[in-house]
Amino acid sequence: MSEPIRQVALTTVVLGVLVAVAACQSPPSPQGPPSAANSSSAATSTTPTGSAAAETVIDISVADGAVTPTNATVQGAVGQPIVLVVSSDVVDSLHVHSVPEHVFDVEARPDQRFEFTVRVPGRVDVELHNLHRTVVTIEATP
Amino acid sequence: MTADFADTVLAHGVGGSTDLPVPLSYALIGAAWALALTFAVVAVAWRTPRFDPAKPGHPLPKWVSDAVDSPAIRWIAALAALVFTAWVLVAAMWGPQGSGNALPGVFYVLLWVGLAAISVVVGPIWRAISPVRTISRLLGVSRGHRAAGDARRKYPANFGYWPAVLGLFAFVWLELASPDPGSLTAIKIWILAYAVAMLLGAAVFGSTWFARADPFEVYSVTVSRLAPLRRNRATGRIVVGNPLDHLPTMPVRAGTVAVMAVLLGSTAFDSFSQSRTFRDFVDGNAATVPFFGDHGGAAVLRTAVLLLFVVIVGVTFSGAARATSGVSREQRRELPGRLAHCLIPIVVGYIFAHYLSYLVERGQETIVRLADPLGKGWQLLALDPGDVQYFLSQNPTLLWTIKVGCVVVGHLVGVIAAHDRALRLLPVGHQLVGQLAMMLTMVAYTLTGLYLLFGG
Repeated sequence: MSEPIRQVALTTVVLGVLVAVAACQSPPSPQGPPSAANSSSAATSTTPTGSAAAETVIDISVADGAVTPTNATVQGAVGQPIVLVVSSDVVDSLHVHSVPEHVFDVEARPDQRFEFTVRVPGRVDVELHNLHRTVVTIEATP
Repeated sequence: MTADFADTVLAHGVGGSTDLPVPLSYALIGAAWALALTFAVVAVAWRTPRFDPAKPGHPLPKWVSDAVDSPAIRWIAALAALVFTAWVLVAAMWGPQGSGNALPGVFYVLLWVGLAAISVVVGPIWRAISPVRTISRLLGVSRGHRAAGDARRKYPANFGYWPAVLGLFAFVWLELASPDPGSLTAIKIWILAYAVAMLLGAAVFGSTWFARADPFEVYSVTVSRLAPLRRNRATGRIVVGNPLDHLPTMPVRAGTVAVMAVLLGSTAFDSFSQSRTFRDFVDGNAATVPFFGDHGGAAVLRTAVLLLFVVIVGVTFSGAARATSGVSREQRRELPGRLAHCLIPIVVGYIFAHYLSYLVERGQETIVRLADPLGKGWQLLALDPGDVQYFLSQNPTLLWTIKVGCVVVGHLVGVIAAHDRALRLLPVGHQLVGQLAMMLTMVAYTLTGLYLLFGG
């Protein structure tokens, strides 16, 4: 009765160890620190000036009570400047839940630039206050 | 009104960043270990029950027990906690009414996570320091009789822990599902309702009410079953012993399983609610909820899903506990309660995996804020915001290892406890097959937990 179960258990242990070994050898995860080349993802664009290659730029537009993007994820790095470029048709405020936190007043006009850096690694939500929407989550790695 | 900065601090009501998601490789290694260890325990391990709450343990020196039991020391601890509460309330009322206030950090971080951290080491400390118990005793003393002895009615046994389950759910609801977790007003209303419910209940049912209905006391008692320190019931001495001998002393009452379900379900919901899938779902459907408006509709959806998580944990656990052969109907009905303590290690492991960096980092920030309760630039005890250390966040690989380690160790201890309990409860011949459903359920909880830590 217990002999087959014993064999199942042994097989599972062996399989488990194999999976663990395979996982150890898997390529670096996408959460690893991004290099300067791929630091801008789908929701970002590099600055036209090109002077600060390490900048992460996030374009945000608020129109007709809706914000684009929402709930996006962007890779960033600690100490590296992050720039929010906001075009809005209403007054609102952006809250950046980093350590330390930042608050930016958004006016009803295009191309406002807000720059900040994140000091402590973590997932940083950028939230639009009046609309109650999370615009983007920045995964700031060390 | 509170300043409008305070009422949008979303994450757990205390603001700041949250942990980076655990990489897939860490989650996979954790999952592989959890699976392998589970089957090793079920099939290769011992065949007669090993763990027994009646084991004596190694007694600590007698002065330790004397100190813990000394009325003077108990009064000093209780009054110190009461003074601390008053300090926090003064800061809440007259301190900065924005994100600089210490109240959310004390409430969500020091109370919720700190209480678990202390209870898992030294035991059910809330019973000794609970401010509502102290107030109730002070009122009783001033009226010239003992608060414990003056119950007007006997606490009904069929209430069990259910009032505490409601309280625990109210707490996690405020933190994870309410429209405004960071709102000082909302937290103050919650605390007021809690204090009124505790003191009124105690006036009717005496101090038994605190033991059954105070969410923090039941939480503290639950977590404390994993503590290495306990009291030898025969001699009354404080002893050091194997936590696995201590675990089965979790009282089995109506609602014991529900306590576990709220604790585990809400922590899982907290991870899940940060995922993009869930946020998109809430954003897309909030407006379709009638009567509550867009913002209120989002809270209704979050509440429904939070409740769903809790119910899923409760139903799957009860179902798995009953899924055995060779027991009578009566015995089968009792099984979920008699196995409930096996969930405690999984709950505690997951709480620490999830909130450890919160406790350490937001906890430090909170203490710094408490050193300047009124926002006047005081630096009591020479604490200033520059002192806060973010060591865990700055070393993500260490934090990830700790997180996955907490989940896997919690899972292993839970599985060992469940195996041992099955040997005691189930008839010979049904012991191996009878515990399979429980083992698979625990594996499912752990894999789900790891998947959620990975970021879904």
